[in-house]
Amino acid sequence: MSDLPLNPSSPEEAIDLDDLIASTGLVQAEVIELVELGVLETCDGRTGFLFYSRTVVQARRAARLRDDFGLNTPGMALALTYLERIEQLEHRLRVLEASQPR
Amino acid sequence: MNYVDYYAALEVERGATAEEIRKAYRRLARRYHPDVSKEADAEERFKAISEANETLSDPEKREAYDQLGRHRTGESVQPSAEWDSRFWQGAPGEDIDLAELLERIGFHGGAPRRGQDFEIATSLSLEDAATGTEVSVEFSVQELGDDGRVQRRPHTARVRVPKGISDGERLRVPGKGGPGLGGGKPGDLYIDIRLARHPRFEVAGHDLYLQVPLAPWEAVLGAEIELPTLDGRLKLTVKPGARGGQKLRLSGKGLPRRGEGAGDLYAVLQIVTPSVISEKEKQLFEELAASSSFDPRAHLTGEPSHV
Repeated sequence: MSDLPLNPSSPEEAIDLDDLIASTGLVQAEVIELVELGVLETCDGRTGFLFYSRTVVQARRAARLRDDFGLNTPGMALALTYLERIEQLEHRLRVLEASQPR
Repeated sequence: MNYVDYYAALEVERGATAEEIRKAYRRLARRYHPDVSKEADAEERFKAISEANETLSDPEKREAYDQLGRHRTGESVQPSAEWDSRFWQGAPGEDIDLAELLERIGFHGGAPRRGQDFEIATSLSLEDAATGTEVSVEFSVQELGDDGRVQRRPHTARVRVPKGISDGERLRVPGKGGPGLGGGKPGDLYIDIRLARHPRFEVAGHDLYLQVPLAPWEAVLGAEIELPTLDGRLKLTVKPGARGGQKLRLSGKGLPRRGEGAGDLYAVLQIVTPSVISEKEKQLFEELAASSSFDPRAHLTGEPSHV
């Protein structure tokens, strides 16, 4: 028997604040601040805090950076923003590389 | 059990203060942290650094480690009877590695502890990503034995990967990591998806790219060509006057997305020339050269015009 992973961006499979905290090691105040700073996305149009499964990956990364570099919440927000920007650039680079002859 | 020199891993003296260890760890983490570093062996290096830091930053574990004595990395070490009675949490004489040994110190049972999360990378072929597939990942989980001590057990998880996946995605399988200890909840499993390089197609997100060579006359006159796609072959019309580097989009012929739709397949035109030509072909090209008025470098003559 095999298990099915959560759909990373499905609102039907969203997870709540307690689950996010248990899965990431962030504390509630940090999650709320990261949401307020606009780096952790909540599901649209829902009451209370609900998160897409892909946000768990982001939040775990934030917690790792906090632990390994001693970052505070604004520091985590800044690092996540930069990392996201790098990923966007990497994607553009990937598109350019993909269209070049091997 | 093979000894690992944690002080050497963190590049500090054995007598280093907690502050020196913290600084050394931060400095090395900045270089090798997998979220930050792109160095080829970053992941391996960071694992070694974290393992060293986990022990040296915890006074109880550091004390136990120091009491093992001073050895070289790789040297075989047998803890003394005295050490065992002071620090050991496992079954006597059990053969485990140094990291596991130290991990157990500090876990004294009792309080519920959430199971460990696991993040496992797995590689899929493009074809499997397109149709969805099932992957099997192996890791070793911690659980409490009958004697109440922590032990490790190899574990295999089978995960169904739905179609729509793309390179670099991380899938979360809740509750399928390590079992909780002392009544704690199980951890989660994260599957890190990598798409293996395909012999024909390059991938970017859900779009595929295919290099399509054309003969010069096909580029000039246009051509009907046949192309491979992920699900069979497809006819494509190249219009007269095709240019090298031009991308022809085959809508919906890329990787399927989750739910509805799919990415696109781009045929990237390349104009190639034969390396060996016959006398007859040479003659035809010479005739063409003599009668053509085409000047491919017209824009490079005269003064540059600024737009």
